[in-house]
Amino acid sequence: MRSFAEYNPIAVTLYFILVTGVTMFVSDPIFTAVSFLGAVLFTLMRGGEGQLKRHIFSLILFFITALVNPLVSHNGVTVLFFINDNPITLEAVIYGCFNALMIVTVLYWFSAFSGIMDSDKLLYVFGAFSPKVALVLSMALRYIPLFSERQKRVRSAQTAVGLYKDGNVPDRVRGGVRVFSIMTTWALEKGIVTADSMSARGYGQGRRSRFTPFRFYFCDFLLIIISVIATAVSVWLTADHKFVFYPALQFPSVTVTNLLGYAAYGTLVLFPVINDLKEEIRWRYLRSKI
Amino acid sequence: MEILKVEDLSFCYPGEKEPVLKDISFSVAEGEFLCLSGATGCGKSTLLRLLKKELSPKGDRSGRILISGENIDDLDSAEKIGFVMQSPDEQIVTDTVWHELAFGLENIGMKREKIALRIAEIASYFGMSAWYDKKTSELSGGQKQMLNLAAVMAMSPDILILDEPTSQLDPIAASEFISTVKKLNRELSLTVIITEHRLEEVIPVSDRIMIMKDRGIAHLGSPRDIVSRVGDSPEILASMPSAAQLYHAVDGEGQCPLDVREGKRFIETGFRADHTALTSEKYTHSEEKALEFKQVFFRYAKETQDVLDSLSLTVYSGEAYFILGGNGSGKTTALGAASGLLKPYSGSIRVFEKKLKEYKNNSLYSGCLALLPQEVETLFLSNTVREELIDAYEEAKMLPIDVDTLLDKHPYDLSGGEKQLIALAKVLSQKPRILLLDEPTKGIDAVSKQRLAEVLRLLKKNGITVVAVTHDVDFAAMCADRCAMFFRGRVVAENTVREFFSDNSFYTTPINRMTRGYYSGAVTVSDCVELCRLNGVRDGAAV
Repeated sequence: MRSFAEYNPIAVTLYFILVTGVTMFVSDPIFTAVSFLGAVLFTLMRGGEGQLKRHIFSLILFFITALVNPLVSHNGVTVLFFINDNPITLEAVIYGCFNALMIVTVLYWFSAFSGIMDSDKLLYVFGAFSPKVALVLSMALRYIPLFSERQKRVRSAQTAVGLYKDGNVPDRVRGGVRVFSIMTTWALEKGIVTADSMSARGYGQGRRSRFTPFRFYFCDFLLIIISVIATAVSVWLTADHKFVFYPALQFPSVTVTNLLGYAAYGTLVLFPVINDLKEEIRWRYLRSKI
Repeated sequence: MEILKVEDLSFCYPGEKEPVLKDISFSVAEGEFLCLSGATGCGKSTLLRLLKKELSPKGDRSGRILISGENIDDLDSAEKIGFVMQSPDEQIVTDTVWHELAFGLENIGMKREKIALRIAEIASYFGMSAWYDKKTSELSGGQKQMLNLAAVMAMSPDILILDEPTSQLDPIAASEFISTVKKLNRELSLTVIITEHRLEEVIPVSDRIMIMKDRGIAHLGSPRDIVSRVGDSPEILASMPSAAQLYHAVDGEGQCPLDVREGKRFIETGFRADHTALTSEKYTHSEEKALEFKQVFFRYAKETQDVLDSLSLTVYSGEAYFILGGNGSGKTTALGAASGLLKPYSGSIRVFEKKLKEYKNNSLYSGCLALLPQEVETLFLSNTVREELIDAYEEAKMLPIDVDTLLDKHPYDLSGGEKQLIALAKVLSQKPRILLLDEPTKGIDAVSKQRLAEVLRLLKKNGITVVAVTHDVDFAAMCADRCAMFFRGRVVAENTVREFFSDNSFYTTPINRMTRGYYSGAVTVSDCVELCRLNGVRDGAAV
């Protein structure tokens, strides 16, 4: 078994798409709350630097987005008070909170996703569509740092012989244009070397195969199956459970079937946390034997 | 068995009247290490490219190239012939080390499992396991070139062709690279064909050397044989090991020495030692300080280590001051700080007794200080040398090359040495009083190096202060007044050039190593020649 971050990137991507998809498109506060719980727990569990900043940022974002809705939307029947003759309604406040929670939750998931997926993994996922796309992306990732490094060098080389002046705006623009023009020539010129290096190693001779350091294990299939089934079941079992915010709040009571649906989504959302907890315990046990 | 046979090969680029190669015939045996040499522009690279079908230049070709008896045109050579080029950076295609290793194997459609095995083998053989997962942009120059070699070797070629593979590397990385190539040659019986500027490293490991001249093969034979025959062409001699240069300079006879050990024996058995040192004037510098570092501290980011660690040094006006030291010793960083590109967090830097901060609005760069960067291509802005030199034609005229023949070329098409000189002319057009040079001899051939040394001497005569950072001890010995050794961001030794190299045991010129304990203070070939002449031949010695 592996930690959640070490699962096959395709399985992980599918998982994130389904979890955030349900959070974003199924307008149901219970789903959002469950998803929020899972996202925050997973973030806490992964730890890392800048945790506190991330939580504070989320809190501020939550309050701002929650406040904006009642200020611009005046729908709803329960008027709480007036600001400048505009009614602030209970419905708009609650809808604002719900929306803000959804946005914050989705951001939590996204940051967890980007923390797990490095460029190698993203490349692997995109490359699953076509080996050519994979190669182009890989070359692009190679060229971006090369280009920016080169740009810096050109700039300082030009500065140190007094050709690049950044005293005023026209000078700076002129200098910038010059650096850009050097960079273009350089990129085209060096592109020839790269092209030579590629054809010298047989590029374009026949059908390319594709090597990746990632494999599919049984648990990856398991994750995919769990993700798909849990999503389908939860959406299907809760389809009749409709929340209405406007004009008046209507919270229909939750049936046993609905409850099963929410439980299915809960399992899905908590999967990474449960998986990593189990791994942690197992590792502690194993380590105690070393 | 012959693995490569070239018969009457001639080649002419389209639009050119004269062929670059004419009636070339030679063959290479399996497992042979062949070194190809010749002046810049003699057609070495063209010949190498003709041997690799995918890289063959377009033009008129006649004659035959046979690889294991088959005509090269009927052959897929991607797998059979590996080709490594000069620049470490541009040959790398992908973003990660593992993907780069797999790239060629993917191209030929190898199965995933086989690729996994092959790159595991290659990574282990080249000792790359530690950086297998790294981004290619994070590697050092030496590692990048090693990766290029490994990526080519992953396809297990029969012939490996290398076109000046170490010209962009520092001496330590270069010698590591050459010894890896030699290891491949010995252990896998891999056929190697290599061209190089600096033959000091390659000659001892080569089986045969081929010297090209006037569009054809001038010499072909064993290293010792060839080296003793090239005395008449100064261009080729300049790239030979110091011991061989000495041998020719004193009109030596008998076996030609190739390395330091043989050179030492040649001197000690051939020449008397009545005068052990040259009488030289004591070096005195002017009193005016051109550049002064006082306890300068610098680091690139908050969390990293100090690159300049309490660096203090003084360069006096009109002198040539050379900074030597290993990679990461802070040499280039010091130049960056001196030129105001990098801002130290503590300490002061003065140029002509005035703090850097007091030079407002780029006044530092007009008529005061200029930096020639390591990669001179970063200075070129135009499509022709003519436009490049619009404000610098006067300066270009004093260069020891015929600038007028280059005017209509694209600056990128010049040879390494020509590029260096044209860039230098551009830098000089800003009329600097102090010139900073970053690795001025990187990627240039031996003749260009001598030309550059000539220019530096001329500049010194005109009173320009030169501060250079280099790995090239021979060049420093030729040009410097004073040298400094950098280690971990500070100066650990500083002295006039003769004393500096005589005090060093490892970081010194081959000539100094050869004469150690016999003569003192000899650092260049001409020093040693002078000493040998002064002392005269030993009685009965065969020199």
